[in-house]
Amino acid sequence: MSDISRRKFLQTTSASALLLFSGLGRESQAASAQSYSSRKIGNIKNLKVNEPLAFNYPDENSPCVLVNVGHEAVGGIGNGRSVVSFSTRCTHMGCPLTYNNGRLVCKCHYSMFDVSRNGQTYQGLASQWVAQVVLRLDAATGNIYAEGVEGLIYGRIGNLKLS
Amino acid sequence: MSLTKRKDTLPIPPVDAERYTTVCQYCSVGCGYNVFVWPEKRSGTAKSNAFNVDLSKQSMLLSGFSYTETMHNVITRKNGNRYNLAIIPAKESRINKGDYSIRGGTNALTAYTPTGVTKDRLKYPLLRKENGFVAISWDDAVEIIATLTKNSMDKYGADSVAMKFYDHGSSGLGFEDNWGAGKFFLSGVKTQYLSIHNRPAYNSEVWGSRERGMHELNYDVDDARLADTIVLWGANAYEGATVFYTEHIMPNLQGGSIDEKKSEFAPGEPAEEGRIVIIDPRKNATTTVSQDISAERVLHLRPNLGTDWILANALARIAWENNWYDSAYLQKRTDMVTFEDYKSKSLELAKPLAVFLADAEKITGVSRKEMEEAAAWMAKPKAGGFKRRTLTLYEKGIIWNMKNYDQVAAIAQLNVLTHNVGRPGTGCGRLGGHQEGYVRPGAPTPGSIYAGGPPKNVDKYITGGGGKIYWVGATDPYLSTPNSKFFKKSVKKRANNLLDYLDNGGIPSDPKAYVAKVLEAFEKSDALFMIVQDIYKTHTSEDAMLILPAAGWGEAVDTSINCHSRLLRIYDKFMDAPGEALPDWKILALVGNKIKALYTADGNKEMAERFSGMEWKTDAEVFADGSQEFGDNRATEAEEARLSAECYKGVTHEMLRKLGNEGIQTPVRQDPVTGKLIGTKRRYQYSFASKDGLFKWYGTDAWTGYPAEIAKYINNPTYPFWFTTGRSQHVWQTMYHDKRIPEKLMTVPLPYLEIHPDDAGKLSLKTGDMAEVFNEEGSCLALVYVNDATKPGLVFGIMFHAKGTMNNLTSSYTDPKTTIPWYKGTKVGVKKYNGKLDDAIKTVSLLSNNDFSMT
Repeated sequence: MSDISRRKFLQTTSASALLLFSGLGRESQAASAQSYSSRKIGNIKNLKVNEPLAFNYPDENSPCVLVNVGHEAVGGIGNGRSVVSFSTRCTHMGCPLTYNNGRLVCKCHYSMFDVSRNGQTYQGLASQWVAQVVLRLDAATGNIYAEGVEGLIYGRIGNLKLS
Repeated sequence: MSLTKRKDTLPIPPVDAERYTTVCQYCSVGCGYNVFVWPEKRSGTAKSNAFNVDLSKQSMLLSGFSYTETMHNVITRKNGNRYNLAIIPAKESRINKGDYSIRGGTNALTAYTPTGVTKDRLKYPLLRKENGFVAISWDDAVEIIATLTKNSMDKYGADSVAMKFYDHGSSGLGFEDNWGAGKFFLSGVKTQYLSIHNRPAYNSEVWGSRERGMHELNYDVDDARLADTIVLWGANAYEGATVFYTEHIMPNLQGGSIDEKKSEFAPGEPAEEGRIVIIDPRKNATTTVSQDISAERVLHLRPNLGTDWILANALARIAWENNWYDSAYLQKRTDMVTFEDYKSKSLELAKPLAVFLADAEKITGVSRKEMEEAAAWMAKPKAGGFKRRTLTLYEKGIIWNMKNYDQVAAIAQLNVLTHNVGRPGTGCGRLGGHQEGYVRPGAPTPGSIYAGGPPKNVDKYITGGGGKIYWVGATDPYLSTPNSKFFKKSVKKRANNLLDYLDNGGIPSDPKAYVAKVLEAFEKSDALFMIVQDIYKTHTSEDAMLILPAAGWGEAVDTSINCHSRLLRIYDKFMDAPGEALPDWKILALVGNKIKALYTADGNKEMAERFSGMEWKTDAEVFADGSQEFGDNRATEAEEARLSAECYKGVTHEMLRKLGNEGIQTPVRQDPVTGKLIGTKRRYQYSFASKDGLFKWYGTDAWTGYPAEIAKYINNPTYPFWFTTGRSQHVWQTMYHDKRIPEKLMTVPLPYLEIHPDDAGKLSLKTGDMAEVFNEEGSCLALVYVNDATKPGLVFGIMFHAKGTMNNLTSSYTDPKTTIPWYKGTKVGVKKYNGKLDDAIKTVSLLSNNDFSMT
């Protein structure tokens, strides 16, 4: 099975991941095979709390943000599991999201996403949670690598399917 | 890791995918959607597909085409094959223009699938036996209900049958189902004990406007973009009617509709960015979003609970004193005889202005300065002497207020006084909750106490031991009726009396023996036979004797109108209902036809006749049959006011299928010259809906304090907080679908309470804690959010939730003029609850949902 969340689930032992087994998953839709590149996007030593770093992933047409939220976050890396990364295309209608104090805010229709809670739309119109970038921390160097995207980037039929 | 199953690619519909048009199943906005269905193994390509969109490129922002993870599902049809299902917001709809809310964006996730989150849909009639519910045949279910109903009517009279059914559109319902339920209960059974979805009685929520000659849906979405001032009164548009706010109100506040104004307004008339007056005790998200757009064009008034008609009258008095009205208009279009009553009782012209306004300030808690500013924004002529254009929309904060009739009447009258009805950019009516689709034979109670009412209170009847059969359709009163704990306890007791009687010696399997034993129980104990007809089991169905499976949205052909344009469209069938589930109209027709046969066999022609006329074969036939109820609709444009607001006579399903997302606006009239069917954009330009065409004024009641059910709490230190309720943007009604969708349940995992930081500090409460909210009616445990949405001394709770209902706390008080409950106000105590929160705390967001600031 090639889909990202399944693969990542098998790698993780965190308590909240167990929710996947508590009847919350809906009917499985096998994602088609996608192969994300691994790309260095920053170093954990340079990240300051609530000071976001912008980058593009998985291609130059996909703006993302890397941030240390200062407390444990779903999918977070680092000692405090506090470093997370998201696409900054609003999943509602594609407007740019701005990071502010633990959340991503869209000024087109005022959707707001909680970056500590898997990009959950806690207010506003976006019915799809924002897509979260899968991160890997190289413990020796502190380098952070983007290695996948969980969830659909807005405006695409597939995250890696642009011509 | 991810909390839910995510997708990073979506299937593409081939060019020949099946295509249907529909309208969102949820709120009053009625966003248009396009539905695509195609075999699971087939695929279009990025360049060639049924969307007719080049999917090989990253789409631009706000392109109007959205296809997200939540808009796709895989369904299984009765042929056993699996199909992709995509439900996409319609760019060509003038209601939503491709926009969608967090509710409608998940329409596809609610589709029935045998292995997904909706797998527990009801599929067969279920009869309660010794060890729970067992599936039975439709034949047996129909025989049981028909025989019981007939025998109960014959022995105890028609009033021994009570019902609580929806009367609205959307949610998989529409004109067809309402006509079916209406024919059965209003023409056939003829019980007086009818009630409408969550409410205790069978009534309009806006008789205060209708009895003035003004139906509440009198405006168009365009009016929200054309208005100089929009007033939202007890109406949380951003969260409740989301896309109406983002596509029609927001552009106006941003100045994006100035060109439209210039083309519609009179030459030389000022056309500027819109203003908004929000009258709501809470600083809700509608307020804070509007303030973020332009704080200086937002006025927020926060009246004390239950005082809004005093405030409306005060604004009207200020308009009167400043001559912000048009005498010629009032004389031509309104009844100057009843106007005297309005002047004396509502405007209280005998009372000096200063005294009048000082009284109003004291009662409402709103300052004279705020009142004067609001009145000017609503009614003061613009530069050059042009009449201001104000669109005033109210909803549950007014309707479910202490004095339903007077609140609605006072707001309607304020708008007619200032000629803010019947012109582009004006209107006065409901924002709406759900969509509409009402066509039924005449109700037993035509109006308020001033027009043959009030209607009977069915809750009091049932809880007081009245009735033998209680049929509940597509509503869950254990959560949604006021004073719900008492209601639930009472119904449960009567249902258990029946079960105890039946259980004694075993519950017969043969329908005839079963019915005989139920009839014995009716005679010998205080028994209630409850039937629940729904798409899922509900909280209420746990005490039903019989559960009937209904078809949902997309599983039958429905038609409804939205609230902001009265736009009639088809909600086409694109998939099969699960198991043997049937549309509501068909269930009622099966039972009606069986009762007719039983009376015919008895030789009772009169009763057989009452149940005749339900021999429909198709949805289209029911729609056409219902249309006859509207009478003759040949009328000129100037005669539109005499037409029923939802009149669709002459329109057919086939016609609507061709019109698709364009639809046609009710009332539909047949042009006397051309014979063509023509919709109505805006109402009451030429006359009002009274016999002589004049608006009928009404002198409202004076302030006399709170009713006994609430007065008992005032000055009682155990219940220091005023308490009001409302909804969450994320979830629809009782969460019947949403509690099954993981993203929704994680976001709103529990009933919640909003409390001001000052009060929270005194109770040592912080966001993420649990609190017990309680009074003499009941209690509810709630997740706490500390924020500035409420004022000190006022707390807010979500009205109901799949895991608890705040209606446990509301009183049984109803407006004696209409039998509409005061859902939105009581008093409570709050204390910290030291129990342990479950896993919800790990996944719920604790950020404040009314804070959009970027500082």
